[in-house]
Amino acid sequence: MRDKTGRVLVAVAAATLLLGFVVACEKKSEGGGGAPAASGAPIVVGSTLSLSGAFAATGAIHKIAGEAFVDRLNAEGGLLGRPVRWVVRDDESDQAKVSMLYEQLISQDKVDLIIGPYATPNILSAMAVAARHKYVLPQHTAVLAPLLTYECQFPGWSIGSTPNEFVPNQLLDAVASLSTPPKRIAIVTNQNGSTDFVSYGAGDNKVGAVSITRQRGLELVLEKRYPPNFSDWASLATQVRDARPDLLINNGLGVDPVNLLQAMAQLNYKPPMMFSLFPAPGPPLGLGPKADGLMSVSIFEPNKATLDRLGAKATAVVNDFKARATTAKLPYTVFETQAAASWNAWEILVAGVKGAGKIDHQAICDSLHSNGADTTFSGHLAFDASKHNFWPPTQTIKQIQNGDWVTVWPKDRAAGELRGPAA
Amino acid sequence: MSTIQAALSGILLGGLYALMAAGLSVTWGVLRVINLAHFGLMLVGAYLTFELASAWHINPLWTLVVTVPAMFVLGGALQLAFDALRISELNSLLLTFGLLIIIVQSVSNIWSADFQRMTAAVNPYATESVRLGRFVFPVPTLFAFAVAILIIGCAHLVLRRTFAGRALRAYAEDRAVAGAFGVDHRRVGVLLAATSGGSAAVAGMLFSLGSSLTPATAYEWFGTVFAVVILGGVGHLLGTLSAGLLVGLLSGVVSVVLSPATAPFVLFSLIVLALLLRPRGLFAARTAR
Repeated sequence: MRDKTGRVLVAVAAATLLLGFVVACEKKSEGGGGAPAASGAPIVVGSTLSLSGAFAATGAIHKIAGEAFVDRLNAEGGLLGRPVRWVVRDDESDQAKVSMLYEQLISQDKVDLIIGPYATPNILSAMAVAARHKYVLPQHTAVLAPLLTYECQFPGWSIGSTPNEFVPNQLLDAVASLSTPPKRIAIVTNQNGSTDFVSYGAGDNKVGAVSITRQRGLELVLEKRYPPNFSDWASLATQVRDARPDLLINNGLGVDPVNLLQAMAQLNYKPPMMFSLFPAPGPPLGLGPKADGLMSVSIFEPNKATLDRLGAKATAVVNDFKARATTAKLPYTVFETQAAASWNAWEILVAGVKGAGKIDHQAICDSLHSNGADTTFSGHLAFDASKHNFWPPTQTIKQIQNGDWVTVWPKDRAAGELRGPAA
Repeated sequence: MSTIQAALSGILLGGLYALMAAGLSVTWGVLRVINLAHFGLMLVGAYLTFELASAWHINPLWTLVVTVPAMFVLGGALQLAFDALRISELNSLLLTFGLLIIIVQSVSNIWSADFQRMTAAVNPYATESVRLGRFVFPVPTLFAFAVAILIIGCAHLVLRRTFAGRALRAYAEDRAVAGAFGVDHRRVGVLLAATSGGSAAVAGMLFSLGSSLTPATAYEWFGTVFAVVILGGVGHLLGTLSAGLLVGLLSGVVSVVLSPATAPFVLFSLIVLALLLRPRGLFAARTAR
């Protein structure tokens, strides 16, 4: 009996040692077995982010994504064999501070490279400084192509050169594929500059969701605009209910769809289908079944089918982000559109520098125009200066299904089926 | 039909506006303190409600047991500080704006700048309503309306019928004479500011029942709440209640008849008119402090 126990103990000890050896070997290979360690003076990348103020909630996502990217880049041998250091300053969501800080980063701190801030108005401010100094500016999220005229700004998120046409057409194409497509459409629009143009067009191009709905022969049963700080959701909900749309298009942002869904639920009403343009992704999920079926746009959702298609690196990035976001106590820790756009921007920067083989902004800009950039989440991006570098959109339609966002359109990139009102 | 429903919903929402404005109005009118930190107290009240309900699964209504005493103490403490600093009416605006910024940033640091809202599991009221015939009354704003009537009505009676209330009104009319008649202005001032702080906690809780929270929400309240204070007449509680209901009603009806985008235009045009025609407020002459 004693011999048998001894043998078991020896076997357990041997197995433990073997396991320890295997883990140690794996850690060693992760730690730099593949790539040579970065050495020499660091390449400094400067940027601002809105870490306080109105844009801080999303700014935090870009900070975590950027830190994760730089850590990974350095672990893989850095850039041009040198380590990369990211200097990020808080622009307090203030456009004036963005200009001042980028000027400071370039003129005084003499950073080697820059990357964009968060939110369209801030990106426009940074772009003016970048253009003045002829610095390449990869940027995360500005999609208003007509305004982004600097030939060396490179977007990490693209809805094409006419987003006001692309978004409504993509949505209406998606719902037209249903067995009973919606015929009666209601459009309610936040007058914010990031959303209004999708309903009514921008500049000379007045095409938008409203005109496209009519062009397609659909019945526009309600069309209302509301101001950015709107609070009287009950009155808007009443009008939507009484208009009886088959599809409610809410070209809004933040928690607009949550407020609207909630106000409609108070009226014991839910539209058969609903779309919202740029919602904060977490809050609608908190509504539970009342938000099920809500559609929106996305450039990436970490659905299993999508991750399986993209491979192990994408999964590792997504998991790393989730861990970091959880530590940072973000309310919504999923790596999705904003984080993917951030990742794209960093990959564009790295691709440009590698293509140029040196820190020379004109060479980096030329390399990106000639060779494009390979990205983990949006594939190969080709930049056409005549289209302000806005690459062919990879944007998709996502839908809340059983409490989770699922990519549903177009079919070749969908992780699930688009569900109609009867589902 | 839409218009009547929107009018009813607007009136209920107006109750919340009135409750938010009441504390600000009365401290401004009586103590001559334009307390922008009041918006901060409402914000903290709303976030504490969110935290207690989400983390401890306490019914949001019961969170008042914690938040009202907390904001009561904070409101009173602020008034003690204002007294000690002997700040003027204008300086109070600047000082409390600074305080508001500090409060908003602290809230950002604690709860992040992201949107926060109580889930349906802890806050069933968010999507509930009471149906009366063809009309629907959303529960969060129905609560707000009822509580506003109750609190503002009681406060009005206290100001009219109690010694402390009369002392406060005397103090508001003439500080020197009230002091000569034995009114301890510091004590009644602190009591009033503390009560105003308590009302901010209630307003914050009621707001969080039906809305998402971000730290910047405090700034979004400015326009509507000041509109209610000015239209109601600074320091006039029943005027504030009437103005709140009027603003809610107007906002709802204009949203339906014209457009939600037109509502702020109509509302603030009315304020400009009110200031031109009745500088003391639309309801000031008909109600006593």
